[in-house]
Amino acid sequence: MKEFNIVLAGVGGQGTLLAAEALGIAAVKDGLNVRVSEIHGMAQRGGTVVSTVRIGENVLASTVLEGQADILLGFEPLETLRNLKYASEKTLVLMNTERIAPTELAAKNIQYPDVEEIVRKIRSFTQKVMLVDAPKLAKKAGSNLAQNVVLLGALAGTGLMPVKTESLVSAVEELVPQKHLDTNIKAFELGCASIEETEEKT
Amino acid sequence: MPDLKILLEDAPRKRVLLLGNEAIARGILEAGISVVTTYPGTPASEIGDSISEIAKEAGLYMEYSVNEMVAVQVAAGAANSGVKSLTAMKHVGLNVAADMVMTLAYVGVRGGYVIVTADDPECYSSQNEQDSRFYALLSNLPCLEPSNPHEAKEMTVTAIEISEKLELPVLLRTTTRVSHTRGPVQYGKVVKPNLRGDFIRDMKRLVMVPAFSRPKHDVLLRKVAEAKQVSETSSYNEVVKRGGEIGIISSGSAFNYAVEAANLIDLDAGFLKLGMTHPLPEKMIAKFLQSYRKVVIVEELEPYLEMQIKAIAKDHAPNVEISGKMTGDFFPRQGEFSTRLVAIGLSKITGKSVLIDFQKISEKFAEATKGLPSRPPILCAGCPHRASYFVIKKVGGETAVYPDDIGCYALGISPPLNVGDIMICMGASVGTAQGISKTTGRVTIATLGDSTFFHAAIPGLINAVYNNSRIVVAVLDNQATAMTGHQPHPGTGTTGMQTPAEKILVEKVAEGCGVKYVRVVDPFKTREATAVLKEALRQPGPSVVVFRSPCTLMDLREKRRMGIKIVRAKITDKCTNCMACIKLLGCPAIFLDNKVAIDENTCTGCGLCISICPYKAIEGSCAE
Repeated sequence: MKEFNIVLAGVGGQGTLLAAEALGIAAVKDGLNVRVSEIHGMAQRGGTVVSTVRIGENVLASTVLEGQADILLGFEPLETLRNLKYASEKTLVLMNTERIAPTELAAKNIQYPDVEEIVRKIRSFTQKVMLVDAPKLAKKAGSNLAQNVVLLGALAGTGLMPVKTESLVSAVEELVPQKHLDTNIKAFELGCASIEETEEKT
Repeated sequence: MPDLKILLEDAPRKRVLLLGNEAIARGILEAGISVVTTYPGTPASEIGDSISEIAKEAGLYMEYSVNEMVAVQVAAGAANSGVKSLTAMKHVGLNVAADMVMTLAYVGVRGGYVIVTADDPECYSSQNEQDSRFYALLSNLPCLEPSNPHEAKEMTVTAIEISEKLELPVLLRTTTRVSHTRGPVQYGKVVKPNLRGDFIRDMKRLVMVPAFSRPKHDVLLRKVAEAKQVSETSSYNEVVKRGGEIGIISSGSAFNYAVEAANLIDLDAGFLKLGMTHPLPEKMIAKFLQSYRKVVIVEELEPYLEMQIKAIAKDHAPNVEISGKMTGDFFPRQGEFSTRLVAIGLSKITGKSVLIDFQKISEKFAEATKGLPSRPPILCAGCPHRASYFVIKKVGGETAVYPDDIGCYALGISPPLNVGDIMICMGASVGTAQGISKTTGRVTIATLGDSTFFHAAIPGLINAVYNNSRIVVAVLDNQATAMTGHQPHPGTGTTGMQTPAEKILVEKVAEGCGVKYVRVVDPFKTREATAVLKEALRQPGPSVVVFRSPCTLMDLREKRRMGIKIVRAKITDKCTNCMACIKLLGCPAIFLDNKVAIDENTCTGCGLCISICPYKAIEGSCAE
């Protein structure tokens, strides 16, 4: 493996930071070199957030070059679209279908675009698109707040990750509060299973 | 966030994933630093926050100081009592502290002392993108510049060693991409802190009256010469790769991009990596310049290295061609760098082609994202500032002027609130308001937060009383330094050591400053707050209205902890779809699903929409 790049795109408050950190911890557990970039402060307040995770022996910079994402993990459809520049035909786009409407839409009296329309635009970059109904799976696991962990599970479910699934699970265990551990483990498993099941359909 | 207790482990050689700022916190423990002072500010906040979490157990003292100037003063007192100290701040914090820092360089320190300043190229969370390395030149202080979290930790320890050797404060300058990058960090040994200092009276050394300052300036210049020797032999200044068709000199994050960019365009280059960037290792640089016909300087923000390296070249390598941002315009002086940006610059300089067609990606991307709605940062659902601004705008209308300040409430500039007419630096709302009010005679309402009030607004308020300026100062008091992560401040009743403290109230301070009209309101009681603000506007002199309600993020966390159920707002069938809630509030929980709807996951039940709905069509709990 030369390098493996994951871009996590979402809205402030969706837990992208925790997901990115879990990936970083898993890489260190597996003895790999890794860089994770984050944005804090002003940029987090309900605004668009992007974290990048780069794994590989020679990786120095923490940000990903345009077109070089191996996986674009979209926590929200519009934010996935906003970060398509990181994708190319080799990229797998793994996207949560949960829509969070920017306030601009309501103010201008515009409806949120159809997710199918967004998927069509993503396909202009790559044919490899997979959708995850994270809110449904998170609720099934016990909390709507566990969507980020559902998505981590989905990442593991792709079978493409350079880190071991058990390392990722153990990273999640380190990061989530003890009392929500069961919910999060369940969320991870459901996310993982959902991809393994739908692998063929896309 | 993982348990920060991991920072305490005395496990040399252990490899841990840490944020750059957490790595500096670990460096603090490995350096045996015993006093840590800070004022929070992105991208530096997690240094102080990490230490605050572990200070008691680690046996060191930390404080959130009222501002960066005071933070440096406290630490300088400790360091001049022989105790190893560190102060952390964001880049603009160094401007606040500058008066102290400039002369502290003359005085020096007896214990080691490090000042961490985190620059923010691209203004991710800042009002400017100044290059703080120039403070090193200006003050003559040594400066270290890490490029990744592991180096950030190592350099914290080295900075203390240099500081002890030279008896000078040392700057440790990071950028957002170092402070907010996570990477593997290898632990060294933890050194037990020693908080016990002794103050030795020495007027010639410590009292900077002119007669004592003059000789101390000479002392400082001698120390710079000594620091240059340190720089020449520092392992952080290193030719990491020799040979190649051109030489590249770089530092910090820019070094990472430069190496990856050279690989990307298949450029065989030699690299001089600079980690100690003041004073520069002149001999080492001269030797590097002499081995090439062409040298490229790759650095973010200002041509700080380039200016000095050109001066070195004039004496030692006059024929070498130096490219960067002063000659040829290959790299910009503004914004954050990326591997792409550096690759394109290097390609222009060397004629090597970039193998990725970035232009094509950009065009395709522009096509796919045409008409994509923006999503700027906004006030959170349930944020009390939304209620405050709703009231302020209702009273002041379009004719009033609204000087604004640094903090979450700066997000009030977004539609539909549109409050905020001039915003420059911490505390400036109160000062600028006075000049505007005096010269225009317009109603002037300054808005600022509680932490900002204590940090920098009190002299401005006293000035308003003294010079009788007719302004209203609206303090949006959400009981925390919210934007940077809810750190405590003098008004919260808690310290950085997580112990109880005297709770200093904004209204008492305002009264003490001589303000005659001071009131406290609950912003969610919009009718009462409106009446009070109107009365404040009628005062002949300055008035202060404190809009007090806790940050909704803290409040929700507390409610969740206590098991208090949140009563969320619900649209009833009385809704006529008049859109008043959307047009007046811009709350992210309210959206359009053919008609107005409230997102149950986002709504915090603050009740503001309930109190403003003209048709009483929203149900739930409401303060009024």
